[in-house]
Parts: sequence; C-alpha cells; structure tokens
Amino acid sequence: MGAIGYLYRRILANRIKMALRRPVTYFYIVVFLIYMFAVPMSLKVLAEEYRLDAPDGMAAVLTLFAFWVIPANLIAYARRKGLIFRNSDIHFLFPSPTGPKQILLFAHLKSLVAQSMVLLFVVCCGGTICGVPAWKLAVYFFFSLVVENVLEGSIMMLLYGSERLDEKRRGLVIRGAYALVGILAAIGIYTYFQTGLSFQSVVGFLHSDLVQMVPVIGWYISVIHLLFIGPTVVNVTGTVLYFLLTAELVMAAVRMKCTGAYYEDAIKFAEDYEEVLASRRQGNTEKRLGKKQKFGKASVVWRGKGARALFYRQLLEYKKSKYFIFDLNTAVALIAGIGLAWLYVEEGGFEAEIFTNFVIPGLSAYLILIFTAVNGKWAKELKSPYTYMIPDTPFRKLMQATAMQHVQNLINGLLITVPGAVVMGMTPMRAALCVIFYMALAANKLYALAVAEAVVGGTLGTVGKQMFQLFLQSFVILLAFLGAVTGNLAGGTDLAYLMMDVFLVLATAIFMVLAALNFYRMETT
Amino acid sequence: MLEVMELTKRYGKTLAADGVGFTVPDGRIGILLGPNGAGKSTVIKSIAGLLRYKGSIRIQGHDSRSLEAKRCFAYVPEMPYMYDALTVREHMEFIVRAYGVEVTEDEIRELLEQFELEDKQDKLGNELSKGMMQKVSICCALIIRPSVILLDEPMVGLDPAAIKELKEVILKLKARGTTVLISTHMLEMVKELWDVTFVMDKGRILGTYTREALGEEDLEELFFSVTGQSGKNREAEMPVARQKGV
Repeated sequence: MGAIGYLYRRILANRIKMALRRPVTYFYIVVFLIYMFAVPMSLKVLAEEYRLDAPDGMAAVLTLFAFWVIPANLIAYARRKGLIFRNSDIHFLFPSPTGPKQILLFAHLKSLVAQSMVLLFVVCCGGTICGVPAWKLAVYFFFSLVVENVLEGSIMMLLYGSERLDEKRRGLVIRGAYALVGILAAIGIYTYFQTGLSFQSVVGFLHSDLVQMVPVIGWYISVIHLLFIGPTVVNVTGTVLYFLLTAELVMAAVRMKCTGAYYEDAIKFAEDYEEVLASRRQGNTEKRLGKKQKFGKASVVWRGKGARALFYRQLLEYKKSKYFIFDLNTAVALIAGIGLAWLYVEEGGFEAEIFTNFVIPGLSAYLILIFTAVNGKWAKELKSPYTYMIPDTPFRKLMQATAMQHVQNLINGLLITVPGAVVMGMTPMRAALCVIFYMALAANKLYALAVAEAVVGGTLGTVGKQMFQLFLQSFVILLAFLGAVTGNLAGGTDLAYLMMDVFLVLATAIFMVLAALNFYRMETT
Repeated sequence: MLEVMELTKRYGKTLAADGVGFTVPDGRIGILLGPNGAGKSTVIKSIAGLLRYKGSIRIQGHDSRSLEAKRCFAYVPEMPYMYDALTVREHMEFIVRAYGVEVTEDEIRELLEQFELEDKQDKLGNELSKGMMQKVSICCALIIRPSVILLDEPMVGLDPAAIKELKEVILKLKARGTTVLISTHMLEMVKELWDVTFVMDKGRILGTYTREALGEEDLEELFFSVTGQSGKNREAEMPVARQKGV
C-alpha cells in the first residue's frame, strides 16, 4: 500500500491545508458544529413524541437506514458503480504497477473522512437523543468504521473487481438484492396484517426477529440490536453469522483473481463523472450520471442581430431538449400548486385568513429559496467566451440571455398560482400579482447570482457564493414582507399585494442594474 | 520489445480493432498513423491495459496486464489529467513509489530542469496549464526509466522548446535500447524520429513500413496513399487555404 498510502495521505493533507487557507472553511466549521448541536436538540422533541428517545429507538432508526443502504450498495457495486474514479486515477494509477485490488480499496477509502463525519453525527444523536451509554457508542463507532467497512470493502471487491462474474451473473446479484428488499417488504406486509398500521406497529416490524433472519441485511440489524437492546437468541445468531460472513468474504476477496478488467467501466464512469461535474459548474442541472443527454432535431428562424443571437441560440437548445423549457422548477411548481389546492379542499379551507391570503407568495418564496443552487442558463452564458465576444452592449446581452428564463418563470408562476387561486376563489388581480411575485423573485435569484459573483465569487468559492446569493434573496424577501405589512396596515390585502410586488420589483431592478454593471466589468477587465 | 497480436476490440456492435498485430523491437521508434476514428486510441488504451480486449499484448515478453509488464512500461496519454491536490513534485514522488524505482534527488532535478519545471515543482495539479501538465506527464513517464514507452500525441500543447527537448529525449531513449511507440497526427514532428510506421484505418493495420525499406519517400505521401485520401480530397478539404495562396 506504499504508493497508494502516499497518494491518500498527500491528497488529504493538501486538501486540509488548502481548506484552512480559505476563510470560508472556518465559517463552515462553525455551521457544522452548530448543526451537530442543534439538529440532535431539535430531533429530541420529535423522538420523544414518537417514543424513539431510548436505545431501542436508535436501533429502529439504524435498521431503517440499513433497509435502504445495504441493497443500494450491493446494486451499485454489481453495476460497477458506486466508486468514484477521477481522470487523474486513470492517467497515473491504472497503468502503474499497483494491484487492481489496491486501486479498488483506494477508491473505497476515498469516502472514509465523510463516513467518519456522518458516524460522528449519528453517535452525537445516539448520546443526546437516545441516551445510549458512551461505551456502546464507542463500540458502534468502531464497528461501523472498521468491521462494516471491511465487509463492504470485500463485497465491493468481489462484485466490482471480479472477472469471473460476467454481466449476466452480476445481473443475478442485482436481482438478489431486490429479492432481499422483497423479503423485507413481505415481512412488513405480514406485520401489517397481524397488527394493523400504526407507528408502533412499524417500530415493532423494525425490531422483529423475522427481519433479523434475512441474510446479510438482517444479520447487520442483529448486530445493531445486540449492541443497543441486548442479547436474544436471534440477534446473537445473526451477529455470529454476520462475523462469519465477513471472514468468509474477506478470504474470498483476497483469493479472487483481479487483473483490472474493471478499468474499462471505471474509465466510462470517470469520464461521465467529470462531465457532470463540469456541467454542474456551468449551471446545467439536466445532466445525470450514467445518462447521456439526448437532443432532438429542431430549427429556429433567426431574427435580429447582436445579442439577439443569444436568445435564438437558447431557443434552439430548448427546442432540441427533451423537456423544452420545462425543468425541475416546473415540476416543483406544478406539484406545489396542485398540492396546495388539494390541501385547501381537503382541509375545507385554512383557518387563519392571513394565511389563506398569503400562502401562495409564501410557498413561492420558500421554493425559490430552496432551489437557489439551480441557476439555469445565465450562469452557463457567463462561462462562455462567445457571450463576451458578441458585439453588443452588456445590458442587451443580459436581457436577451435571460429573456427565455423569464418566460419559464411566468409558466412556473402560473402553475404554482392558478390551482390554489381557483379553489380559494382569489380575484384575478391578486392571482396576477402572485404570478408577478413569483416572476420577480425568480428573476431576482438570477441577478442575485451575478451580484454574489461580483462580491464574493473570487474569495468564497461556489458554496460560499450560493450562501451569499441566499442571503441576498432572504433580504429581498424581507423587503417584500415589509411592503406587504405596510400595505396591509394602510389599505388591506389588495394594497399589501401591490406594495409587496412593488418592493420586490424595485429590488430586482436594482439587482438587474448591478448584474449588468458586473457583466460590463467582466467584459472590460 | 512491444508485441501486439490479433488485438480485437468491440464496443457493442462497432469493431474498433480488428485483429491488429505489430511489433516494435528494442531500441526502435514505431509510429502509429491513421485518420480520426481509425482505432488508434483503442489500440493505445489496450496496450496501456485500460480496456478489455481479445488477443495478446506483450511488453518485454510479459502479458501487458501483469505487474511485471507495468513495471517496465510508461504511458503518456493524449490528455494529461493531474491530481488537483498533488504538487508536481508529489506526482513524481508518487510515481517513484508506485513503480518502486530508485531515483536520486539529482535525477529528479535534472528532469525538471530539462522540461523547465524546476520553478513549478510546488504548484498543485489544478494550477497548471495544459502544456505544463503534459510536461509533468512526460517527466513522470521518464522517471521510471521504462523499457517500453507509449506516447499518445505527445507534442500537443507543448511549446517549441519542449518539443525540441522531447525529440532529443526520444532519441536518447532509443539509443538506450528503449522501445518507443508514438501515436500522432503531426507527421512533421516525427519525421526525423521514426524507424517503423504502422498505418491504420477502420480498425485494421493497412501496412507496416520501415524507414530502410521506404528510402526517400515522404511519410505524409505514404500516409495519404495508403489510407486512400487522394490529393484531390485534400484540396477539397483546404479550399480557403488554397484560395488565399497559403
């Protein structure tokens, strides 16, 4: 492991060194520590309400995670996925005389630091919420970090690295993993017929002996139950089987022949992964890992010149795209609009009048804030050299490059507003103001990105920039809120809507000018 | 010596390499030529052990997938990719450890100086230009003192001084008895280097030509005559250049 160990140590040490040089790291550390403290505290109330505030509660939650994580990992490894290889690994590591199994271990251990953080968080929750004794948490930490990793590493090696398992056999493993999930589901259905559906019956299912008898997943659950609840015949047997399985698989992984036939699949993954990363950096969220983006045939009639070309190029791209101008935001707006209307009808109206009056703008603001990171085409335009080379004014470029996005926002605004407006009997005027609110706030997000880029882009990195963008938007929402309060006090709900939109549109106009100035600065410096 | 025998590789229904076979003896420089899509990359990646294939590839008599073969084999890919968080020096240190070679401080310094990297050794991978990355990639390949070296479009991205340096290095490697295989489109760049040329198209080797047998014939003319790209076609490809008398 000499060279691999060196590579792992140096990458980790240099990353830490680089991170410590950036001021934003200290901010993240503080946020992380606050989360480590605040999340367990807030979950404590929930855990008490559902009687999960004891060690058996921790066992139940970890059991639930095991249902999801173990089959998902088995399927990923059988598909030769689930390990992150980069192009640099392909360049330097794959052709080197490093054993292909060692390379697999290296890829597996890349997530060790992140795993340790998650485990630390789980241990904190276990101690503060479920009152698990410290020694048990220490054993759990060691078990998860060492034993579980050894077993998972062996399974990974046997599935990912095996040269005897062809595509067909790997398919059988995938079916086996689904079968395990099927068995667990069957036990769940059986429990439902026995005890009915209630929160306690679900917890009972998670603790049931039958679940602990299911191979692999159940044996892991046995270990958890033995540790947090105490010994039973079933969980002791399951634990023994778990350790025997670990020993057997480790030996099988050591004996297995592996000459690097998996490299070809790893290369495909690495190329795909780098492409997705690069495209995310440019604000394209459509690209998915393992799925090639498909484009249809389309054409546009090009009109106008200069920056207008940006508009038509985007239109052409949208027409070639599978979902035209509709994306994640459209789906979210549609679901939220219909969901809100359904809830209103189901509940027979909302109790508080003020809530009914402002629920749509409130929901719009919340969703736009949540999806701050989804930046659309303007972020992409900023990365393209052609945007700067087009002989036109920065303001016209900004307008033309974002025009289509405003159309998109109009559609999303209508989708989120119309269903609720219809069932609530909203006046057309208020509904229109709701749509304008959505459009203005979405446009604000677009321009806030440019302002964030100008202010902190060079110092805080991508995440820091997004957080600053979030801060700007929160500030603008606060302004709109103040407008609504002022309007409501002065002349009622209609004026509140009007003032809210006026404040928001004014703030957005200021941001737009700032974005255009920043773009001008980027062009000229 | 590098021996490629009956190398066949399919991507789904596409036959990218169809029974490719050639040999580059010790101390000789082989050139792999072919138009885009000829299958050169497939052959190169197969030799580097990055693809599954049918047939046999032997490096100094060892199966190319074996660790023995990899120990004496160096590969310079067309696109260099660095570890973002490793410095130039750390890349070299990693390679030295991975290949288990004994290298002195002076040898490393000499190599870095040769490619004008001595002031860049503490730069991280993500701080380097493409040309710099290519130089690091070449240094990492040379530091292991390979018996067989495979260079895929090695001149792309290099400045004229580095190209000159690389040519000299390749000739020195040849003199030392190293087997060299270069895949390139830049025929001008390898004119004075080559000993044997393999012309590929549509996944097959169309012809193998030694410098001795070819005599005075130009490599470029040979390439166009073997691949069937006539002078007329070439004219059609360069109308603008012709019109302007370039």
